Amino acid sequence: MSEMTEREILRAPGGPRVRLIDADSAPLLVRDHFAGGDPGPIVASLAQVPELVGPTLPFLGTVLGPSWIPMREKEIVILRTSAVMGCRYCTDTHTVVALDSGLSHTEVRALRGDLPAAAAFPDVDDRALIAWCDAVAFGVEADIRPARAALTIDDARVVELTLLVATTVMLNRYATALALPTSPDVRDRLLQEAL
Amino acid sequence: MTTLAEAIAADQLGDRVWLYSNYHCNLACSYCLTESGPKVERRELDPATMLDIAHEAKGMGFTRIGITGGEPFLVPELPEMLLELSAVLPVLVLTNGTLFQRSLLERMAPLGAADVTLQISLDHPDPVTNDVMRGPANFRKVVEAVPALLGLGIPVRIATTLEDGDAEDLPRLCMLHRELGVGDDDHVVRPILRRGRAESGDMGVRARYLDLPPELTLTADGAFWSPFAPTVRQGVLDTDLLLSRTTRPLQRPVDAMLTVLGGRPAGADSTLNIR
Ligand code: SF4
Repeated sequence: MSEMTEREILRAPGGPRVRLIDADSAPLLVRDHFAGGDPGPIVASLAQVPELVGPTLPFLGTVLGPSWIPMREKEIVILRTSAVMGCRYCTDTHTVVALDSGLSHTEVRALRGDLPAAAAFPDVDDRALIAWCDAVAFGVEADIRPARAALTIDDARVVELTLLVATTVMLNRYATALALPTSPDVRDRLLQEAL
Repeated sequence: MTTLAEAIAADQLGDRVWLYSNYHCNLACSYCLTESGPKVERRELDPATMLDIAHEAKGMGFTRIGITGGEPFLVPELPEMLLELSAVLPVLVLTNGTLFQRSLLERMAPLGAADVTLQISLDHPDPVTNDVMRGPANFRKVVEAVPALLGLGIPVRIATTLEDGDAEDLPRLCMLHRELGVGDDDHVVRPILRRGRAESGDMGVRARYLDLPPELTLTADGAFWSPFAPTVRQGVLDTDLLLSRTTRPLQRPVDAMLTVLGGRPAGADSTLNIR
């Protein structure tokens, strides 16, 4: 009943493929997420099923947010994975987050696939991490084995960063399938940065 | 006592679980909260599910069931289902009262011995004014149905939905329901709520969730805060008072409701007489 009709979906080919909940239609248990303004299309879509919001957001926050691993490293993983997966929403959004996390313009371009990784990342460990993201995102065992062998990080780091790749892939699929829209702020910033 | 039983005992949460049996209706009233009508999607709860929910609700401490819609009596097996449901918990059915032809009344007869009450809508003592809001011949059908149902031993309540300015006609309406055999205690009067078709038609009073007494309400679309919550506007379900899409086990929406109740400001009781 709250679904978009086939006609609505076809009429707005660039728009989201589900109705995004706004502050006025936010269900009782998720209203707090809308109190500070637009919570973004991931929350605005999840709010269609309020009971998903409670468990999902802390999970995403734990995996994608600040932790014992520096944000620069985590954003390498999120942006690279999103670019490999061809997710426009996550690539655009995390291009901005990556720049704000200390990655350079050239590094960001390389992670987005506009430059070879070797051109922007002289550190062999960074390049091994990027290769690990590529291998895990594509999911081909023949690539995963040598990529794991090239990683020099400890097991705890491998576990957390691999879960980060996998969670990013999940979000990439979600955002791409539902055609979640990039926010105007992000679009403006990408224009400014010529990205 | 469970948290649910405590909340019910403290009157924080209604003891009745409402079930939206369906969303379609033979009428299309101008203030209908659910934009019901003959052509809308039916979105029925199937009878077996409704019976299961009644058993589950009883086991959890709810003490009454309410059936609403849409027009519940468009569900073909409703009279027989009501007999089964009422063997579990007392049932109140909201109906427009226009479908009680002889054949349906014959099937209703066994309900005279069951714990089933019907609440029939009647808005105005003047047939023309009433029918403008509720549709042609509505008045006549209702005033015929009420005595017929009472004659079968089925208790009947009358529900009146008032737009501002209609209150002066209320004494005449009260005379009418008394004449029909319905006492003052069984006459429910409430304002038009500014939701659904009423909102599109610029009618009614706006209600916050705090104005709506919390009564767990289940529909084909999920669990809601009150029977006034699963409204529809311009074909889109209102989600502002949605608790959860998951309705079973009943503990899931009950937990969501108790969480909302826990966050309710103290003394935030209803002021709009919506029941
Ligand atoms: S108000 Fe009741 S009788 Fe009127 S259209 Fe809606 S469901 Fe039907």
